[in-house]
Amino acid sequence: MPVWHEATKALQESGQIQVVGIIQEQHPDRCALFMQWKEMDWPIMVDSLDLLGVSAVPITVLIDEAGVVYKVRARTRDLEAFLSEPPVEFEEAAAPQAPNLEELRAHVSSEDSSDLRDPANLNALRYFIDSVFLWGGPQRLDEAILIYQSTLVMHDDATFAFHLGVALQSRYEKSHEPDDFARAIKAWSHALASDPNQYIWRRRIQQYGPRLDKPYSFYDWVSQARDEISARGETPLPLGTEPRGAELAYPARTFVVDETAKADPDPDARINLDQRGLIGIETIVVPTTEAGGSSSRVHVLLTPNESLNAHWNNESDETEVWLSPPPGWRVNALGRTAPNGPGAVSTEPRRVEFEILPPDDASPGIHVLSGYALYYVCEDADGQCLYLRRDIQIPITVR
Amino acid sequence: MRSLFFVLATAAILLTATSGAKAQSVIEVGQPFPGLVLPALKDGSPASIAMYRGKKVVLHVFASW
Repeated sequence: MPVWHEATKALQESGQIQVVGIIQEQHPDRCALFMQWKEMDWPIMVDSLDLLGVSAVPITVLIDEAGVVYKVRARTRDLEAFLSEPPVEFEEAAAPQAPNLEELRAHVSSEDSSDLRDPANLNALRYFIDSVFLWGGPQRLDEAILIYQSTLVMHDDATFAFHLGVALQSRYEKSHEPDDFARAIKAWSHALASDPNQYIWRRRIQQYGPRLDKPYSFYDWVSQARDEISARGETPLPLGTEPRGAELAYPARTFVVDETAKADPDPDARINLDQRGLIGIETIVVPTTEAGGSSSRVHVLLTPNESLNAHWNNESDETEVWLSPPPGWRVNALGRTAPNGPGAVSTEPRRVEFEILPPDDASPGIHVLSGYALYYVCEDADGQCLYLRRDIQIPITVR
Repeated sequence: MRSLFFVLATAAILLTATSGAKAQSVIEVGQPFPGLVLPALKDGSPASIAMYRGKKVVLHVFASW
């Protein structure tokens, strides 16, 4: 993209061309930071659902004055011929408007539209749900998810499944409900299974998946971007969700084990168990998308129980999670820690991630790995603080 | 919401496993660029490639990863 930017900067400034972007990304704010970093200020449209239907990026498209496609997958060397084309006649287009959701709802709710064997009806329903997601705002996200799910029950459609995953992940990043993340991965995996050449869909899983399956680090550029933006005297644009764990991890060709891990801190299970569930723990397994691959990345999510007014105690050691793999199974680290939050107490969700590789002779099916978490938790913001253990079990599917 | 679910429930009876309309856009040389209306990154307002009629457009479809 920066190569294109250099090739077109003067042309854009002189008005000879208009540079525009469409981003195929779950997190548009990360693209905004990228644009700030590279000092690219052309207009961007957000296509998180991939309504454009591209299967890989980047793609550069040249479009003439009438909105007709001149070249797809253009290279900078195509610019000269494009610019030498005489201007074509065009009609002014109406200003773009968001669809009226209530009109769309009324249309898809009519009995005339109920037969989804009619492609027109199916597409009308698709347009309605996608519009609820795109234009309904956070208050209608639940509605969009509910209708995607209801429709998928009746009509197994890969695009619906991908869109459901995008909506679930969006909700997860607002509410931190672990089940939404797990269901997003499941929905994306379902979509990809029907179209393994859809790399936009594949990347959404790989973003959170194991290193053996990664084409590159997805967001390793973020810290460098912030440093360079700050060095220019500017303030880096904020991110709604910080990239971490799998999103920052680099690809690996072999399974990498961290040999520096310290010893199991509670091998005999002597630390008191968290009987009341002050901390909720969920595990989400992101499988490889690689054909025949078997590694997985396990996300362990720990959340203080709001109904018990539980808080992390930050004036103590960090939260730890330990795994005990069966013989032959490999994990990249037996133990991982999650850093303490700000202040004396806090309630933020915490996450640690592991990579797991079953033995070659593991039988197909579900295997359960055990582990536990150790944490300092307070029963209230100013209540009694305890050091507790919670055991966890992680189901891993071997294909 | 209830009427929509009534329709969806009715559709469940009518649907067959073979129905498979695709709603993907197509970018083809010589054809108008798809008339999608998408949120602008800057402020979330409705935006479209059609806004740039009268100009030669260089469109990058990309991601920051």
